[in-house]
Amino acid sequence: MKYITDTWRWSSRFAMVTVLAAAFVACGDDDDDDDDATNTPGDGGQVQLGEVDVLGIWGAEELTSFEAMVEPWGGTVNFTGTRDITSQLTLQVEGGNPPDVAAPAEVGLFQEFARNGRLTPLSACEGLEDLIRDKYPESFVELGEVDGELYGFFMKADSKATIFYNPGLFEENDWDVPDGDSSFDDLVSLSEEIRDSGTVPPWSMGMEEGAGTGFPGTDWIQQILLNESGGDVYDDIVTGEKGFDSDEMKDAWEKFGEIALGEGFVLQDGASAINATNFRDAIYTVFEDPPEAAMVYIGAFGSGFITTQFPGIEAGTGFDFTTFPGGDVTGGANIVYAFNDDPTTCDFLTYIAGAEAQQIWVELGGFTSVNEDVDLEAYPNDVARRLAEQLLDAETFRFDLDDAIGGGLQQAYFQGVTQFLTNPDQLDQILQQIEAARE
Amino acid sequence: MIGRKPWVPWIWLSPSLLLLGVFLVYPVIDTVRRSFLDRRSDEWVGLDNYQFIIDNPQSLVADTHGAIFNNLLWLVLFPLIVVPLGLVLAVLTSRVKYEAVAKSAIFIPMAISFVAAAVIWRFMFVFDSDIGTMNALMVEINEDPVAWLQDQRSAQRAAFDIGPEEAWGPIQINNFALITIGVWMWTGFALVVLSAGLKSISTEILEAARVDGANEWQLFRRIILPILSPTIAVVTTTLVILALKVFDLVWVTTGGRFGTDVVATLFFKEAFVVRDFGVGAALAVVLLVAVVPIMVLSLRRFQFQEEIR
Repeated sequence: MKYITDTWRWSSRFAMVTVLAAAFVACGDDDDDDDDATNTPGDGGQVQLGEVDVLGIWGAEELTSFEAMVEPWGGTVNFTGTRDITSQLTLQVEGGNPPDVAAPAEVGLFQEFARNGRLTPLSACEGLEDLIRDKYPESFVELGEVDGELYGFFMKADSKATIFYNPGLFEENDWDVPDGDSSFDDLVSLSEEIRDSGTVPPWSMGMEEGAGTGFPGTDWIQQILLNESGGDVYDDIVTGEKGFDSDEMKDAWEKFGEIALGEGFVLQDGASAINATNFRDAIYTVFEDPPEAAMVYIGAFGSGFITTQFPGIEAGTGFDFTTFPGGDVTGGANIVYAFNDDPTTCDFLTYIAGAEAQQIWVELGGFTSVNEDVDLEAYPNDVARRLAEQLLDAETFRFDLDDAIGGGLQQAYFQGVTQFLTNPDQLDQILQQIEAARE
Repeated sequence: MIGRKPWVPWIWLSPSLLLLGVFLVYPVIDTVRRSFLDRRSDEWVGLDNYQFIIDNPQSLVADTHGAIFNNLLWLVLFPLIVVPLGLVLAVLTSRVKYEAVAKSAIFIPMAISFVAAAVIWRFMFVFDSDIGTMNALMVEINEDPVAWLQDQRSAQRAAFDIGPEEAWGPIQINNFALITIGVWMWTGFALVVLSAGLKSISTEILEAARVDGANEWQLFRRIILPILSPTIAVVTTTLVILALKVFDLVWVTTGGRFGTDVVATLFFKEAFVVRDFGVGAALAVVLLVAVVPIMVLSLRRFQFQEEIR
């Protein structure tokens, strides 16, 4: 599940904002300069760029960064950001009024749209498919394919194999920072050590996030599942060959419960406190002065919240991250796809898929690009750079489980997590019910 | 002249009939049709979608029984709290000098949209007692903070200490919290309408009763209440219909999670998140069927009042 920025935290699905991201650029130049950046590939001549309607999830700082990224593009971008993108997109598409471009985090809906012939394949825009196939990692290209045809590409990727911690606190108390080579049991014994030290609880944890309540829990579970049972089992759960009620899945939930419900392990003591705490507030407690907890497990995007909330904080000394024990990487990304092959739409897609545009956002922070032409030097600090490296160098990478399944199953998965925390002894029933929600 | 041509009135009616047809009749018929089709509205499935609502096979994601129960809870509790509260406040405020100020203060929440009110109350209900007003109060009186919007324990246990610690429902704390928001918003409406009714009672009747030796309670019970009863009925009907179609409040505060779904939120979720248009449409039909008798009742009463006039 993708996070949503603070401004959106209290807003409803009805509260959306439409932003004119770039001023209309007057087009008076009539000579046939084929090198002009605003030319649409394939049309051979000068094309007057019009407007493109984009539906995404970005708001606040992210929206500002997005605007900065599309500024140099020639046309006008009408951006609508909503946290409730699944229902918004469904409403628009079923109502016969889709946006030109959508950029949600969930791929389940994308695959369905593609299969039903609602989407335009990227091959319809000249040069775009080749750009993606040449410059994007194989694992991400495959995720954009439906029945062998490429329909979408990924930008703004986030690793979710990241535990953020307070380095000062770890140094002071001489605790060993776990890493990818540690095991899950090491993580449990570290938690015990920190708890028994009597300083702070080892973990801070919050599940609340409006329509996405429960997503930090699903991230825990998918990360444990991939590490403990491997990529094949993970893929089987996504496709439905294995159910949520399988032994491997149950084991991952129980391991998550060991931490979340461990005696004295979590600052937010008890299920209702964890369920009622917003995930951002949970992140902040670890880096406050004095810190209230030692570690928080959250995707790489968590670094953006930390640096925004604590403006002077030093990456590496004030906050840092380590790889989730096990070493395999799950992660999410925004998938970008189009509903038409209008020259303006094509030009826009080609522009934002390119390294030049993405580098603008990379430099502003909170953005990991999977385009290999983006310079690692462009990342604003060492932590951001290591986050990018972790994602690009991962031996085993799997796309966010809940975003891969989508729809009702994703909702069931989210709700299952909060129910499990409240009633851990009903795990078998909860898992069966989640599986029953599969289409 | 015009009266002799029976088709003439239809010409004048046609624009509104057309609008009604396109925006009301057609959607209703189409919803009913879709409720007999499968999740993508491709194939006929008979009564399967209604069977789904009755059997409740996915009580975790789409708790149809829970949603219907919560709607009933709203239906009973919401008017039951708002009407008496509005009536008492109407009587009380009519007796003080600062009546206008008091009434405006209570009426102000009506001027806010459901969405805005829900957002305000989300802040009020925040778990962290440094942010959430309600939990700041709880801490002030030395009680543990309550996860108002997430707590599924039964309200009667929390209030009266009956039953086991972790017992759930049927009347959950968070549902009470949501109904409280509704009460906060709509008490002003009941107050203003009832207060207007109160003003229309002629002082002579009241004076006459006082002369005959009636005390204030008898005055209220035997004169004010009977005269006000049509107004009370109107207010109650309005509130009952509101309770049936409540959506925004629940959607913004909890999104229907933690057992707070009502039929309207569930049908939206089924249709546009789960993308099962069949079940979504069937739930919408259930809601429609539930509203019809109340509509009929209030129309009948309207006709009756016209006749006695």
